[in-house]
Amino acid sequence: MTVLGLIVVGLIAGSLAASLGIGGGIIYVPALVALFSFAQHEAQGTSLAVIVPTTVVAAVVHARAGRVEWGTALLLGIGGIVGGLIGAEAALALDAPVLKRLFAVFLVLTAVRMLSRTRRASHPEPLDPV
Amino acid sequence: MRHIVQGTAIGLAAGFIGGLFGVGGGVVMVPGLVLLLGMDQHRAHATSVTAIVAASSAAVIPFAVDGEVAWDTAGLILIGSIVGAYFGARLIGRIPAVWLARAFLTITVIAAVRMAVSA
Repeated sequence: MTVLGLIVVGLIAGSLAASLGIGGGIIYVPALVALFSFAQHEAQGTSLAVIVPTTVVAAVVHARAGRVEWGTALLLGIGGIVGGLIGAEAALALDAPVLKRLFAVFLVLTAVRMLSRTRRASHPEPLDPV
Repeated sequence: MRHIVQGTAIGLAAGFIGGLFGVGGGVVMVPGLVLLLGMDQHRAHATSVTAIVAASSAAVIPFAVDGEVAWDTAGLILIGSIVGAYFGARLIGRIPAVWLARAFLTITVIAAVRMAVSA
């Protein structure tokens, strides 16, 4: 049952990632915590372990289509490695309840941002005067 | 030069958020590339995903060292997400994006409240 549930979480995340352009992590972490009773840190570590191979596949597809700007990707990657290590160490240094609350705030901000972007994309005229 | 500093800074910020919250970091990287470097949305997405391979590979190491990765769970989710990316996107593509986003927002707020309350 758990096996099936985890595959379904992946299915939903994969479908949403492809159609809404959101990353899987924003779905994996709350799903593992809320539905599968994972501790916050293990949910985040597991999410990252799924993101690595998923992004490799996506990167190959985009690279073949010629959409990757390699010079910029290199700079982002160098910054990303340093930032990723610092961020992960910071997460591991935080107590689970604190990290969980921070994540909850991050989750809501991300969802609101995504909703406003999707609404803009589906309306030809801007809703707000720029 | 400015491009080099900005690109590295966006990577640093995105990597930090990605490592801190166990997400990719695209949520920071894509808008950073569009707003600061003037990249179009498609190129920004493709370039961001490529850079996140490096950022998430680095971020997973400290978690793995601390034993905070459930590898069997990761494998099962991975199977689902690859199938979902191929077939789910076609089915879900028939639903207007704004309704998907609204549904996602609703579920997200419920999950966030549950997480905050149980913390």
